[in-house]
This record gives sequence, structure tokens and C-alpha cells, in this order.
Amino acid sequence: MKTNREMVCIVCPNGCRLNVFVDEQNRVTRVENALCRNGRTYAEDEVQCPKRSLTSTVKVKGGTHPLVSVRSSKPIPREKLQEAVDTLRVLELTAPVDFHQVVVSDILGTGADIVTTRQIAKAR
Amino acid sequence: MLINKDLIIVGAGPAGLAAAVEARKRGIDDILVLEREPVAGGILNQCIHDGFGLIKFNEALTGPEYAKKYMDEADGMGIELITNVMVQDLSSDKAVTTVSPDGIRSYQAKAVILAMGCRERTRGAICIPGTRPAGVFTAGVAQNLVNIRNVMIGKNIIILGSGDIGLIMARRLTLEGADVLAVVEKLPYSSGLQRNITQCLDDFGIPLLLSHTVTNIEGRERVTAVTISRVDEKGNTIRGTSKKYDCDTLILSVGLIPENELSLNAGIEIDHVTGGPRVDEKLQTSVPGIFACGNVLQVHDLVDYVSAEGELAAGSAAEYIGGGLGSSTADGCSSVDVGINSEDKGPNGENPLSYEKMAVRAGRGIRYVLPQTIRPGKAVTFSMRVVKPDREKTVCFIAGDRIIKKRKYTALNPAEMIRMDLSQNELKDVSELEVCIYED
Amino acid sequence: MTANTDNIFDIVIVGAGAVGCAVARELSGFDLKIAVLEKESDVAAGTSGRNSAVVHAGFNNKPGSLMAKLCVEGNEGFEKVCSQLDVPYKKTGKLIVAFDESDFAGIDQLMENGRKNGVKGLEFVDAHTVKKLEPHVGGIGAMLSPNTAITSPFIYTVALAENAAQNGVEFYFETEVNGISKRDGLFRLTAGKRHFFSRYIINSAGLYSDRIAALAGDKGYEIHPCRGEYFILDKRTSQYLNMPVYPVPRPGLGGLGVHLTPTVEGNILIGPSAEYIKSKSDYSATKGVMDQLFKEAKELLPALEMKHIIRSYTGIRSKLVGPKTGGYGDFIIEESGVVPGLVNLIGIESPGLTASVPIGRMVRDIIAGREELVPKKDFIAERKGITPFRELTLEQKEKLIKECPEYGEIVCRCEGITKKEILDAINNPLGVTTLAGIKYRARPMMGRCQGGYCLTRIVDILKEQKGIEPEQVTLRGNNSKLFTGRVK
Repeated sequence: MKTNREMVCIVCPNGCRLNVFVDEQNRVTRVENALCRNGRTYAEDEVQCPKRSLTSTVKVKGGTHPLVSVRSSKPIPREKLQEAVDTLRVLELTAPVDFHQVVVSDILGTGADIVTTRQIAKAR
Repeated sequence: MLINKDLIIVGAGPAGLAAAVEARKRGIDDILVLEREPVAGGILNQCIHDGFGLIKFNEALTGPEYAKKYMDEADGMGIELITNVMVQDLSSDKAVTTVSPDGIRSYQAKAVILAMGCRERTRGAICIPGTRPAGVFTAGVAQNLVNIRNVMIGKNIIILGSGDIGLIMARRLTLEGADVLAVVEKLPYSSGLQRNITQCLDDFGIPLLLSHTVTNIEGRERVTAVTISRVDEKGNTIRGTSKKYDCDTLILSVGLIPENELSLNAGIEIDHVTGGPRVDEKLQTSVPGIFACGNVLQVHDLVDYVSAEGELAAGSAAEYIGGGLGSSTADGCSSVDVGINSEDKGPNGENPLSYEKMAVRAGRGIRYVLPQTIRPGKAVTFSMRVVKPDREKTVCFIAGDRIIKKRKYTALNPAEMIRMDLSQNELKDVSELEVCIYED
Repeated sequence: MTANTDNIFDIVIVGAGAVGCAVARELSGFDLKIAVLEKESDVAAGTSGRNSAVVHAGFNNKPGSLMAKLCVEGNEGFEKVCSQLDVPYKKTGKLIVAFDESDFAGIDQLMENGRKNGVKGLEFVDAHTVKKLEPHVGGIGAMLSPNTAITSPFIYTVALAENAAQNGVEFYFETEVNGISKRDGLFRLTAGKRHFFSRYIINSAGLYSDRIAALAGDKGYEIHPCRGEYFILDKRTSQYLNMPVYPVPRPGLGGLGVHLTPTVEGNILIGPSAEYIKSKSDYSATKGVMDQLFKEAKELLPALEMKHIIRSYTGIRSKLVGPKTGGYGDFIIEESGVVPGLVNLIGIESPGLTASVPIGRMVRDIIAGREELVPKKDFIAERKGITPFRELTLEQKEKLIKECPEYGEIVCRCEGITKKEILDAINNPLGVTTLAGIKYRARPMMGRCQGGYCLTRIVDILKEQKGIEPEQVTLRGNNSKLFTGRVK
């Protein structure tokens, strides 16, 4: 059955309100209202397998701060977000922590690495 | 001892850092950036989510990553940054007094850029009835505690206000194991970006209750419940619509207020709508040589434009330091409505804006437009916000009876700042200017 | 638990409000072993910390009443006490403003009362003078009371308590008395699992003074809680008001009417309302009253705007007169007729703060009437408070930072409070480490951002200084935990 879905593109702050046409095989046939080509890619992902960037924190021992912020190197399937955060919850790094240091490679087999997004120096 | 500086920048957040880097590029060597935190980066350090820099760098950076780009650049340029220092006073003749564990310092600057950012509106300011227990936080404080200090603020949470920080925190707290029961918004539309509603609320099944507000807080020691009621178009509670939610935490994301206490000390005129200084197209305030950028000027939704403002302010400051601003027509203040009164003149009675300028009016459908005054015949980037959400409307710049620029928008949203560039040519021979929403 | 030297006192004071602490300080001048038991986590947690902060002159009270006598006495001595104990005090004077001709009768009545009570300096001023004294306030004339003053009720109570503690008085917080018995001339006060023994009980339990009296066997009293709500305005409004401005009181009202009061810190208070309520612990602010407060205050001061409001708070009056009677009763300050050794201080509502030191002296006299009191040789009459960095000159600031670099660290941006002041507040002599305790002692979190900037920093300092983990931090003790744990 052919359907059309409305969705908000979250790729950039423009937040285009996409009108997405999907065919019987769940393939995107047409995307309306996208200001750029990213809208189409987003719509395709959203229809087949919604992906989200993951950002969270990881515990740091002996640092100037108790946490370091982290991100996924690329978006991961949305349904794996919670499991990924739960995975990070039990980790602990030791200061100093470097910028873009890899904390977990290929988290949950998604192909995305978890990397730090700031440095944490050793506490005095 | 008085220390002389060409340029002092108050605040090393995204606005201040961008201004510092740009000022150096414009040839200003003697720059001092003052920061109250132990590190530069401002609020970005706690904004660990991504989506920053899409316009500026064409990539979705997290807050700390975005800040680092500027910190590294400023560092590489050897720009002097003092952290852990509080600016205690700023005078209209650009004397800056600071307090730090090293003592009191007095500086004299040729130009000052204000980049202090903003603060959050609190429970007291919006007068929520009820008790005053532990467990009520503003969203930014919650974000700092959770993301920086490893402190969990609650288990069952109601969020009042759909500002972006509130939405971001709804997702953040959910992922960290809290139960976010609802986000409550008094207006009939969200005050956050659409994309944040999708990825922070919809993704997690968190209800967004529009046209609702918190009408009571219960709990003697810690919050035990809040009451949520529907409101009418005027914001008045509708009887019989109240519902009690058991919860231990209420987070407020009910608006940001530019932090202009220092600006007031310097006698800078504040715009009652933006909460920030009134500025011209150079982002110069009513006090010559003091410029403003970022959230201290107007609350932004995108950091990319904060940086852009910082750069513009820095360019103007460089021009001012070089003697290029305002010296040309010192005797020629125009009789056009400048929207300021005689009390706002500088300490020596000089006119704060020493060149011809004219007021830009926010017309129908526009809440405010920045800059508030311009010098005709120069290219200007205007930023503005609409009064209410709308679809398929045209934003128009009108000079007298002619439309000099218009742009059609499929969707207009008060949460999303509109930026429009007007060229030197478009503003040629313009003696009055209004921006409004035009009904097609 | 049995009686031993640790828990036997000459005197136990129940309630650490302004009155209880003033009594403690007065009695600490004598060779007595004294304890103060307080159910909350700090002093001034009830009515004492939640009022208009006015040192009244004494013209409101019924001639011949204890209220009138002690208020006038208290007003006269207040400045001296504040200077001894390093408490903010400002003799602002006060205006009772007439808005129409019918108000003049009320003003005449107050002048007459004042004369009878021995209040000095009351005068009628015309509209022109009102305008000169308070340019932003309307009115067609007013009574000026030159001796009315403002103070900080919280700092005042803290100072009394700290000075009492300096002189050996022991303070027990989160200690709610729930049983009193008497054997062999010795009272036994039970608070949960703990017991305190004493020869005298001073019942300064405020809203709960009826309950404490009843526990001890004196059942004749009933306190009617009467709530008053307030708004606190941004310091930027301080330009609008120089002194407390009150309307002419309407007969039968449980309070003095919604008024405007400048605070010693430079804010303005609006309030209070007066509403009899059932619960003695319902400190809720209510929508209807909040709207009404603002409306009435705007009539007094048209320049007010909603955006000036930074916070609301409520207090509860402990009234001996119920809603049917209305108006004011009189203070009860006497040894119980049925329970010897129990000294009742009941119905201490406004002007209880002003009268607190004279009340302390009356209690002393009651005890001195039963036994000889021996003055302490080494009594310390003075107490030093926290140095307010923000009020110093640049030179003084520079000097202090040199001596102690923690003065150079501004923790609270809005109020300009330094880390040293926060440390002094945390290390207070009473051992209170709640967030509210720090807030009321040093004023962080009291400004327009309400802790948006400094809360996180104070949490850090509590850990760094006292080893208090964030999940242990409370707002006001007991179960008022600020946080629920760690994120990870």
C-alpha cells in the first residue's frame, strides 16, 4: 500500500517538515519540503531504520571532573540508544582523558565508536 | 594600578571566544578575555548533545567540541585569557574592575565587548503557587548537575516549559534512568525547536502538554506532586481541568534572560523586549566603544549565530579602536527617531551614537528586530523573532511605502530566530524602516 | 536512657525562633546549663524567619497590653543588640499612608495609641511631605513613625543563638519534643529516642506552643495559624522605596494589611496577606492571594511590575485569637499555673521579633523570682557575623583578598558573595550545613537568579569542606534531600 508520512527532519535546525511518500516495499519514492538533500537520506533512514547520534557521559577517576562527555562517531539505530547508554554507565576511565579518545569501539556492533568530546585533566 | 588594554571581552563562551579570535584577525593584538569559570567555553561545556555548528562548520558537533574549535584557535593565537575572575564593575568610560583570588584589578580598555550570556528564569519569577520544597530546578542547573557533576536530580520528573534545554534534558534524564512524566507548555505551541520535539520527546514517548501549566507544587521537604491544569488563550487556568501528578522533581525551562547587570552599571540602554542592550548595525551599544554579542544581546537558539555576532562585534571594535567608528559625523546626529532619551547620554554629555542613525521598527507579527538602529546605506544582517507560529507567510522590510526586501517562509516559529541580510544597495536612500509579516 | 550529667539541664528551651534564642542568650549570662531543642534543622525556621523584618515602634498595639509595653522596650534597645551581635539594622522610619479621608480616623487612633504606649516622635505629615519622603508612593497624608526600623530576622536569630552558644548553650536541631513528664521536680522531655531532663521548660514553640504546654500538662491553649504570603522583589526596585509603607489597618484584620517593606539587603517585600488556615505547617503560596497581593501593592506603589518579582514566601502567625474574634490577643509570658517550672511564651505573633529581648528579660525575672541567678563571670556579650565583602571599599577588598584569597572567589554572582563568606556560613557555630542555612547566613541563592549560578558551586564546597556528598545535601534537613543520587 502506498502511504505518505509527515516527519520533521532533525538533521539541522531548519527542522524541515517533510512529506514522505513510501511504496509497498517500504521504500521512499518521494520527499517533499526538504530544503536540502539530507532530508531525503534522513527520510529513508527514518522509514527503514531510524538512527540517532548518541551523546552521554562516562565516569572518570582522578580527574578535575567526575565525568567526561562522549558521543557516537556516527548515528546508531535508535532502538539501541538505551542499551548503549547502559553499557557506558558501568565504564570508568582514569584521568587524564584525551579529546576524541575512543572509549568503546564498535559499540553494540553498530560500527560506531564512542569517543570523548572533551579533555579531562588529572586532579591536582 | 591601572592596566591598559585595547580590547576587553567579558565572557569566554561562544560569543566571547569568536569575538577574540576575530579581533586578532583584524589586527588587534592587545586583547584580554575575562572568564568567571575555571575554563573557557561557557554553557557549551554542559551542552553535551550534538547539533552545534551545522551552519558554521557544516557538521553536527557537540557543545564541548564546538567550544574547543574556538578555544584551540584562540590559544594558538596566544590571546590572553584569565579564568576564575569576576568582572565586578564596568563604567561608561570603559574602565573594568575585576575580582579574583589574585586581588582586585583595574583595567582601562579602548573598547569592550560584552559577552556575558544569559541566566534562566526561575520559579519565583513566574510565581508558581504551592510549597517551596527541594526538587525544583531550572533546566540549565539540572543539565550542569547531570552532565558535569555526576549528580542525579530526580526519579519522577515533570518539566515545565518546552524551551530547548528542557527538551534536551527530557531525553538526557530518560536515558539515564529517570521517568519524565510530561513536558508542560503554557503556550499552544512549543518554544523549542521542532527537531528537539522529535528526537527528545517523540522518540521516547514523552507527552508534550500544550496549553497547560503547573498550578501547584506540593511537598514539605521534597516535591511529592505537582498539579497541571489546562489554560485558555489568555493563559488563565480553566476550572475542572486540573490533574495531580505524583513526582519528586520539577524542572523549569521557562525562558532565558540576558545577563545585563554590568551593562546597567555602564549606563547602557536596555531593550525591554530583548532584555539586551539596544545596538546599531555594528552591535555598538548606547555607550560608544562598548559592543554586545551572543545571549547577552538577545537569546539565541543556535550557537552558530552567536559566534557570527561575536565576529561582527569584534570587527566593529577593531574599527573603533582604529578610530574608524563614529568619528566621521560627530556633529551630525540626525533628527530621526533614535528611540533614546537625553538621560542616556554619556557621562560627558556626548551623544552615545555619534553618527546619523535611524530606528528599525518591529511591525505587525514581529516581536523584535535587531539591530534596533542602523546607519543608512550600509549592509546589515537583521535578526528577529515572530510573535506566534504561522505558515506560508512573508517577512517584509518596508521603507515608507515601498517594500525593499521580502522573503516567504513555509513555517514561522517564535522559537526560531529569523536572519535576513539587506545589502547596501537595498538600504540606500532609506530614511525609515519597518519589518513586519505581510499577508499575501 | 536515664538522666546523666550530659542530658540534665537547668533549663530546656523548646523552640529556636527569635524568642527562644533571645531567652537562651539572656539566660546564658548566668551559671545555668541550658539546652535549646528545635524540631527543624536550623533556627528561625518558623515564624521568626518568615515575616516583614520590621522593628516595630509600638503604636499598633492595645494600650496597657504586654505587646505594647514590650514592643516599645524592644524598639528602644534593638539597635544596641544589633550592634553587639553584628546584625544588620537600619532605622528607616515608617509611613502609614491615608488614601482617602476615611483613613484619617484610623491614623488618629494610631497616634492616640502611640501616645498612650509611650511611642516617641509620631507625627502627621501632609501629602507634600509623603511625596518628599517616598516619591513613588501616592496618598493624601500619612503618619510618620521615625523610630520604626528594619533588620534581618534570620541573621538576628542566628546571632542570638550563636552568642548563646558562645556562652555555653547547647542547640539540638531536628529534635522534636513529643513527650514531657515530670518526676521528683525534674522534667523529662522525649524527642524520638532521646531524652532531656531539666528543672525548667521555656515553651517558646511558637505555632506549637499550645501543644508543648499540653504535653507538659497545661491544656488550656489553642494557637490559630494565620498565614501570610509575601513576594520578594529584585534589588533594582530599591530605588522606589525608602521605608516601610503601610496602609491604615482595617479593624478585625488578622494582620496589618498588605504593605511594602524595604529589606536591609536592598530588596522590597510585598505582603503579607492574612488568612486563617487549618494546618500549622502549610506554607503554600496560593494563586488567588498572590494575585491580590500584587494588586494591593501596586495601589501603594504604581511603579511595580510583575517582572520585578524574584520569589515568594509565606509565614504563619501563631495567634491566640481565632477567625471569629479577629484582631490581636496579647502575649502570654508567665509560669504555668498548673505546671510549676513550665514558663509559657504563647501567642507571640507580631511584634514578637521586636519584643524578643524584653521577653527574654521577663523570663529571666520569672526564674530569678524562684531562685537566685548567679551572673557568669566570663560572659561574652558580643558576636561577630560574616563580613559582607560586597559592602566594602576596593581597598578593604584588596586587603581581605591578600589575607585570604577565598575572598577573591565570587561564588554568588547576583549578590556578590565570596567563597570565604560561604565557608564562614558552612562553618557556623551551630553546625548547620543545610542549603537553606547557608543561604540565610551568607545570602547566596537569594538574588535574581535564585541559585542558578551558585547552587552547583555550593554543592562542590560542601563536599570539599565538610565531606558532604551531593546525595547527602538537604535543603532544610530531615528528608529534604536535594538530589536522588549519582548519574553513574
